[in-house]
Amino acid sequence: MSPEQILQLVELILIGLAAGFLAGLLGIGGGVFMVPAMVLILGMDQHVAQGTSLLVIIPAALTGSYAHYRRGSLVLRDALVLGAGGVVGAFLGAVLALSLDDELLRKLFAGFLLIVAARILLPKEMLRRKAPTQEV
Amino acid sequence: MSEPNTAGERGPLLPLVAVGAAAGTMSGLLGVGGGILLVPAMVILIGFAQHRAQATSLAAIVPIAAVGALVFGRAESVDFGAAALLVVGSLVGVQVGTRLMHRLSAEALARVFGVFLVIIALAMLFG
Repeated sequence: MSPEQILQLVELILIGLAAGFLAGLLGIGGGVFMVPAMVLILGMDQHVAQGTSLLVIIPAALTGSYAHYRRGSLVLRDALVLGAGGVVGAFLGAVLALSLDDELLRKLFAGFLLIVAARILLPKEMLRRKAPTQEV
Repeated sequence: MSEPNTAGERGPLLPLVAVGAAAGTMSGLLGVGGGILLVPAMVILIGFAQHRAQATSLAAIVPIAAVGALVFGRAESVDFGAAALLVVGSLVGVQVGTRLMHRLSAEALARVFGVFLVIIALAMLFG
């Protein structure tokens, strides 16, 4: 094994570690971290990074949700209903992604991150204002 | 602060299916789990508490990511060797993250969530 291969091996494990940590902490699969890391650090194709990310997310989400389930913070029925709508969308979204050019998909991903970042940071005050007005 | 939904109570059927479908489409298109849409949608639109939304999201991601991975896998857009190494790291990371989540308040979690997104967005822009 060449030093480059060993470095890449270590990088992959570290990226996985950070992605899994974020998944457990924030309730997300960690793909938002993994996809840019694979593209920017390892130089993988956007399509392959996305497909690989989806596969890696499965065991991480499975073990994470099992931990929540044991603590009693998970209503399984809600997750099944959510997942039922989710699988239909996932199929359509993946087919659409595969029809797009790699460069376009990467730009789409970067744009998506900016929109989500703005949306998360803005509604905080909206939520605080909404709670009292509902009672009045 | 009052919370409209308590643990053990069932969430509303149609809003959950609709939120799932939207997040699933995003997941398949962008290769992410969809939790980034699932969690705020359940908190803001359905009124779930932050912890409940995150636990429900993580469980729904399992079938959503499985369908996406299958479609990408059939198109040979999955690196199985890289996936195996990422799994090793992520299985350790997810245990640490889950344990830490129960020691943090919902407000601190939301703040961590927001800051995390800004860092990634900047990395994609200037990376």
